[in-house]
Amino acid sequence: MPHRRTVLLAGLIPLTVGACGSSSSSPATDSKQLVGAGSTLVAPLLSQWQPEYNKQAGVTVAYSAIGSGGGIAQITARTIDFGASDAPLSEDQSKEANGVVQIPWALAATTVAYNVPGVPTELKLTGPLLAEIFLGKVTTWNDPRIAAANPGVTLPALKIIPVHRSDSSGDTYAFTNYLSHVSPEWKASVGTSTEVAFPGGIGGKGNSGVGGAIASTPGAIGYIAISYVLANKLDFALIANAAGNYPVPDVVSIEAAAKTLKSVPSNNEVSIVDPPASAPNAYPISTFTYALVPLKSPKADTLKAFLKWAITAGQKFGPKLDFAPLPAEILSADETTIARIEN
Amino acid sequence: MSPPAPTATLAGRLMGDVRLRRRRALNRTMETVATLAAVAAVVVLAVVFVSVVIKGIGAINLDFLIHSEVPFGQSGGGIANAIVGTIVLVALASAMAIPVGILVGLHASEFARPRTAAAVRFALDLLNGVPTIVTGIFVFGLLVVGHTQSGYAGAFALAIVMLPIVARAAQEVLSLVPATVREGALALGATRWRAVVRVVLPTASSGLITGALLAVARAAGETAPLLFTSSILTTTGVSTNPGQTLVSIPLRIYQLAEGTSPSEHSEAWAAALLLILAVLAINVVARALYGRTRARMAAMQ
Amino acid sequence: MTTYSSGTPVAAVRLSSARRTAVDRAGDPILRGLTWLASAVAIVLFVALVYKVCDLAGESFSHYGLSFIGRETWNPNPSTKTYGFGAADFLFGTAVTSFFALLIAAPTSVAIALFLTELAPRRARRPVATLVELLAAIPSVVLGLWGLIVLAPIMSSTIEPALHAVLGWIPLFSGTPSSVGILTGVVILTIMTVPIVSAVMHELFGTVPGELKEAALALGATRWEMVRMVMLPYARSGMVGAVILGLGRALGEAIAVALVVGNADAIHTSLFEPGSTLASHIAAEYQGATTSLQISSLAYLAVILLALSVIANLIARLIARRAPLRLGAGVGGPE
Repeated sequence: MPHRRTVLLAGLIPLTVGACGSSSSSPATDSKQLVGAGSTLVAPLLSQWQPEYNKQAGVTVAYSAIGSGGGIAQITARTIDFGASDAPLSEDQSKEANGVVQIPWALAATTVAYNVPGVPTELKLTGPLLAEIFLGKVTTWNDPRIAAANPGVTLPALKIIPVHRSDSSGDTYAFTNYLSHVSPEWKASVGTSTEVAFPGGIGGKGNSGVGGAIASTPGAIGYIAISYVLANKLDFALIANAAGNYPVPDVVSIEAAAKTLKSVPSNNEVSIVDPPASAPNAYPISTFTYALVPLKSPKADTLKAFLKWAITAGQKFGPKLDFAPLPAEILSADETTIARIEN
Repeated sequence: MSPPAPTATLAGRLMGDVRLRRRRALNRTMETVATLAAVAAVVVLAVVFVSVVIKGIGAINLDFLIHSEVPFGQSGGGIANAIVGTIVLVALASAMAIPVGILVGLHASEFARPRTAAAVRFALDLLNGVPTIVTGIFVFGLLVVGHTQSGYAGAFALAIVMLPIVARAAQEVLSLVPATVREGALALGATRWRAVVRVVLPTASSGLITGALLAVARAAGETAPLLFTSSILTTTGVSTNPGQTLVSIPLRIYQLAEGTSPSEHSEAWAAALLLILAVLAINVVARALYGRTRARMAAMQ
Repeated sequence: MTTYSSGTPVAAVRLSSARRTAVDRAGDPILRGLTWLASAVAIVLFVALVYKVCDLAGESFSHYGLSFIGRETWNPNPSTKTYGFGAADFLFGTAVTSFFALLIAAPTSVAIALFLTELAPRRARRPVATLVELLAAIPSVVLGLWGLIVLAPIMSSTIEPALHAVLGWIPLFSGTPSSVGILTGVVILTIMTVPIVSAVMHELFGTVPGELKEAALALGATRWEMVRMVMLPYARSGMVGAVILGLGRALGEAIAVALVVGNADAIHTSLFEPGSTLASHIAAEYQGATTSLQISSLAYLAVILLALSVIANLIARLIARRAPLRLGAGVGGPE
């Protein structure tokens, strides 16, 4: 009897060791595979690209939606082949990342979603009002300032619960960038970044977590990438633009915002939040999202081919997720940048 | 800590007590309170368990078990890659932690002086008390910074969680092996190591397996040690290569739990049910084995 | 019994006939060396862990020193004036969630243990005890999932409004009910620690000598008087140890708490408000932190957490030295 049991115990070990014998080539050298991580905003689009690109080019793209800050951190540490961020690299980050370029590869929007029982979708809000809400100064849904923007809508005396991202996020960047444009107080006290000190509210992990928190919390309001609003049928707000209109966030209004872009700087950093009044139908919290790629990559060729495909053929998967196609001047800037990547 | 004292005063207090009815009433009240509290707590715990089962059972099907995650917005994703990933991660962690843990136990029972054994036990207890998120940061700093996340890093983090459980169990069960058994083998001319391999380990084997199984059950359910060590996908679909990151069931539940859509939630429930069943099954087996070891050791005394 | 008589003689016969080969002579020192090495690994692992985590926190430590512990700011935006980090928000969240969780879990666990040793029908004791112990093995992420999807809506619709209605005059229960928040974290930590603490207490009560209990009963004590005057004093130090054991577990839980606590960097008096704990905050931010000061500040939080758990462990050892815990008691948690 004891012998049989010893065999059982001894059997455990070879069994476990056997499991690690089945190794294939590592990701660092496998040119049929690309590893990326970062933005959750762009994740829905990437998940369309992955099977399609695999079919066409035979290259597998693995992508983890860990938040834009994670994308920046991971590409800086070179633990992945490409990062993805909706926020451009700051000067310090750019220095730290040492030779990482940013390539705008998709165009989308951060929307404001809410959960107020009895209140229909497309509630109207202005930028300054949104800032007051997130600063904790407007605290109930029946606040006269919200009522003034929404004549005819019955608003409940429900506490407003702002929902923000708990991870480091490009949506946070776009949203705080917008609030900094429209509210001097926001700019001075909270500022623009992928992670800020929010004056209040609750945090959710990723766009998914923010969406989950909004869906389950009556009184919640939060910023969330547009495709997550559509997929989960959340109620969303219309935000007043500089012209005083309330455009619906969709491909058309995002494109209108992108058209206000005059030129692309050499580092490809482009911001289109709070577009001027000359674009009457532009959605005010539109954002480009970037691929972050090292100029020297062991998988340069695979990476270049994928990026080229993404900014051209890949764009046609965008509109059904409310990603707008890239404008021509961005495309040409991207192509110039992609050409600089080498082994 | 001297029980006779309270009993003595008790005797005094009881003498001439005329409020017997009140005392009995108090007794009944306290018994009822304790019973109600206990029943309520057990019911709450059972409700948690049952609601996971009910919510999970509807979402589990064959497709869920044999497919991996699907593109955004589609439903019908599965956790095949997470199941395989968890198996590989835990197997690898076991390969690291179980042999070392048993050797630690042997050291205490066969070779170490009592003081040394106590010091090792202390270190193991401290290690067991380390929050697993801190273990995750340690392994991140040790193996991931400057390299990449990988199944190996994740398995190493899990092994750190497992080691104290395996080793403490081994120390205890090996110390229960009757000295007569060991001495018998030595008296028959066996060298120490032969006595250990042929007699001590076989005698304690089911207890050692209990410890190993409890550690496996614990590791299979851990999320935090994998968060910074094996969470960024480096491959799509099912992979058994620990050189790449491996998706695990707990991490997948963590991601799905905060999902926005009901389909993500039902995937999370299904994965949770699968995880709970696996963990509980291992625990039940471990407990049964432990009961047998104790009975056997007692019979040998 | 049968295994003993059939197993050992076979081995013994083989042993006695075995000739002493070179392998045989080398075997002893090799085994001794291997076991020594394994023990060394266990100690080195703990020391290396402490060293490495402190090392990762180096920049933040040299920047803030010990004042980090009391700083209330956690502002990761480097372009603002208040950019900087501090542990106060998360220490507060950890202290409050763990304290209230144990405040509920400790008496509940005593009740369960008493019920199992004294009150339950004899036939129900084993199954219920096993059930409670098995519940200690439920992975925390599953509890977090349950807390977020099942418990959180109930908290905001039923439990918190009821608490507010009855106890609203206490600042702790003022404010608006919300689904996720400190109180939801407290409930999840309670559910997590009750099985662990009650399993240990159950075992402790089992060690109270029968003669003492019988003596008290024979003197005419009611069962409650026997519990209060004999069992509780006898097991007291072990009980405190068990509670600290649960505390250690509650302090360090990251995942379940991160899912339900609301992840806000703030200190509120109301338990309904969202907060963060040391562990949950590390889980939420570590991977996405981009400035080196933020990364090392998160590691600093880990150092504080590590110190707290070591201190809890030491206190538990000191108090419970006389009440060694059985193998099974530590399932899924620190022993």
